[in-house]
Parts: sequence; structure tokens; C-alpha cells
Amino acid sequence: MNAPPTFESFLLFDGEKKIIKEVDTKVPNAAIYTINKEDHTLGNMIRMQLLKDPNVMFAGYKNPHPLEHKVVLRIQTSDASYTPHDAFMNAITDLISELSLLEERFREAIREKKEGFD
Amino acid sequence: MEVKRLKVEEFQLVDELDAKDSEDTETSPPSRIEIISMDPLEMEMDFIGYDISLINAYRRIILAEVATMALEKVYMYNNTSIVQDEVLAHRIGLVPLKVDPRFFEFRNEDETEWGAQDSLKYELKVRCTRNKEAAANETNPDVLFVNRKVVSSSLKWIPLGNQPDIFQEANMLPLHPDILLAKMNSGHEINLEAYAVKGIGSDHAKFQPGLCWYRMLPEVELTREVEGKQAELLQTCFSPGVIDIVTSANGKQIAKVNDARNDSCSRNVFQHDNIKDSVKLTRKMDHVIFYIESHSALKSYEILEEAVKILSTKCDTLLGEIEKHLETAMDT
Repeated sequence: MNAPPTFESFLLFDGEKKIIKEVDTKVPNAAIYTINKEDHTLGNMIRMQLLKDPNVMFAGYKNPHPLEHKVVLRIQTSDASYTPHDAFMNAITDLISELSLLEERFREAIREKKEGFD
Repeated sequence: MEVKRLKVEEFQLVDELDAKDSEDTETSPPSRIEIISMDPLEMEMDFIGYDISLINAYRRIILAEVATMALEKVYMYNNTSIVQDEVLAHRIGLVPLKVDPRFFEFRNEDETEWGAQDSLKYELKVRCTRNKEAAANETNPDVLFVNRKVVSSSLKWIPLGNQPDIFQEANMLPLHPDILLAKMNSGHEINLEAYAVKGIGSDHAKFQPGLCWYRMLPEVELTREVEGKQAELLQTCFSPGVIDIVTSANGKQIAKVNDARNDSCSRNVFQHDNIKDSVKLTRKMDHVIFYIESHSALKSYEILEEAVKILSTKCDTLLGEIEKHLETAMDT
């Protein structure tokens, strides 16, 4: 049995950072973010949101190995005045507002339905 | 065919109108959710106009990150039944409990005590004996022995700390009283203590609150008129309720699509050469049917509410981390 303990998938190790940024030097306006203890749930969602941004030239994510609990997200923007960091921040802010709208709609729908069977 | 030629100015006008249209749809997306059916055990809802990655995020969170309580540690004092200690412990772990996990905290890894705020104590003490009242010619072992079957209702809740003031025993028992844990013979005995903690599905499947899956809305389109025997054959190729047979204006029995939602997408129709050209089977990509089934203390809609909360917190934490990152990057 050489499987790592399962709790490693959601607890950060001591001193481990949630997110690490690395600038991609091979091409302009590109950065690689490593997000620890996250998986396809967030990775895929953020990538989707980044691709909606017209100033984002490239956005992709990968989970390098199923036993390593991290995702690697690469962002490249088309303009130097709009950094990958801005794109990332915008994507998450937009995502949060979309999620809170959805949350509101859930509450509304569930409340309506509950009144039906009370 | 006459081709209308546009002048350059007109082109720009059309372009502007197009741009305005797309802007409108962006600011007010036609996305909505609809709950089709809902009861404490299961619910079915529609997501219309949402990106699939969002819906998949909810599914993944429900399966892996919504917390429930489950028995985690078993102290075996005596087990003379034929079920081995580890097998019995595993079976006990899988028993779903009625306890609402929202009243509890996650237990610290290096905690040695079982605290009232993060754990629950259960006891299982059973001894199998011969039933003296059984008839002499009785052969059924369930009658021949007392406590032949050890079931989940034999797990007794032992309150810790201030738990008796907060909880009632009826809300702390296993969700189903009749889950078979072991079978014993006369003279066998099980005596153990078990502790339940709060946990999440990515740690162990026993912590999953329920099942969750989604599918895209199927669409069935008839490309030509199908009548008579062929219409009946077509109807049998789909799930009940998908194809209706109606009488057309000229008195023919023709097939009509009633409700493609019920279709199981079996593609059976393509086995029949005479009708396979009459249908087009597709999926509506932006209409997702989402199902939740609960098999834990949380009701189906509570599972959804929890998942929604978890996803929002996840995004908020990440945003916080990036902001922090930006500050440190500026300092250097």
C-alpha cells in the first residue's frame, strides 16, 4: 500500500502556499499559476471563464498527476496593459457574481417548491 | 434568386444592430433554473443556458466535498462472531446516520480526546443465545437463536459531554434500522465502541451525502412523415411517452414527437433500415437535467444548498489568495 493519505487532497501542508505564480519567459504576457489542493472542479470552471474574456489569448489547465493535488493554470493575454493577473482576477470576480446570482435563484426556487409541499 | 446589395453605410448599421443584440444577451443571459420535482429524498432540476463546467463543479462538490457524519473509529473489545474485526469495522463505517452534520465541526487530526463538538459515541453490545422458547422441531436459525442478526439498530448512541441537552436520541440513530452488520451463532458475542466524525467524500465514500448526476436534454426530430406500421415500430424504438401516434388531417396514423425528455437515448431506431432515415437524434447542449438523490441525513435540497455555499467559499478563498499574491508581488 503506497497510496498517500486521503486527507492530503484538501489540507495544505505546513508552509505550503495556496497559489504560486510563475512568469512564462518564453512568450510575452503569459503566466503559469499553480493552485494547490484544487482539482478539476475549480480548474475547469476558471478556464471556462477565462476563455470568455476576449483579451485572453490562451487559457488552459491541467492536473499534472492524479495523486498530486494541484492544478496548473496557464494564461496568456493579447495585450501588455492587461496582465494575466488582471485576467485571472476578473475571471474569478465574474465567477463569484455569477455564482451568487445562481445561489439567489436556487434559494428562490427551493423556497417556492417547499411552499408547495408544506 | 435575387440578391440584395447593401451599401457600405447600411453594412455598418447592420453591424451595429448585431453588436447591440449580442450585448443585450450578454448583460441579461437567458439562463434560468427550474425545479421539476423535489422531495426530501430526491430532486430533479433543469439548468438552462449555463456552462457545463459550472454544473459539473456542483456535481463534483456534492460527491466529494459536502460533509456528513459517519462512523470512523471502532474499538473492538470482544468479537467472537465469524465476521473478522476489520470487516465488521468496515461494515459499521458504511452505516448512514441521521445526525445533521451542520451541528458539528471537523475533528482535528492530532486530537486525542473525543469532544462533544466534533464526535459521537456509539456502542454495540450483543450476545447470541439459544432461544429456549423455540419449538423442538424448529429449523429456522432466526427463531432458534436470540440475536441471530446484528443490525444497525443495535448501535446505541452514548451522549458525550453536553450532547444530551442539545440532541434527542431519535435524531442520532442510524438512518435505516435494518442494515445487517453480522450474523451470529449461539455463544457468539460482539462488544465494541464506535466513534463518528464529520468528513467529506474525497476522504472516503461513506461520507458522501448522496448521489448526483446530470444529462443533457435529448431532442428527437422527425425528418419525414412516418405512418401506419412504421409509426408503431418507431414508437417501440423509444422510451414510453416519447413518440405519440396521432390521426392526421387526411385520416392517416402518423408518428409525432410528444416529449423527448423521457428518452433514454437508446438509438434502437437505427436497427431498422426502413425508418432509420426518418429521425434525427440530438442533445440540447445548454439544457442540463440535474438529479440529486439523498442517502444521508441531509435532504436533497439541503445537499444542493451546501454545495452552493462550498463553491462560493472556494472562489472567495481563491480570490483572497490572488489578491494577497498581488500585494506581495508589488512589494518585491
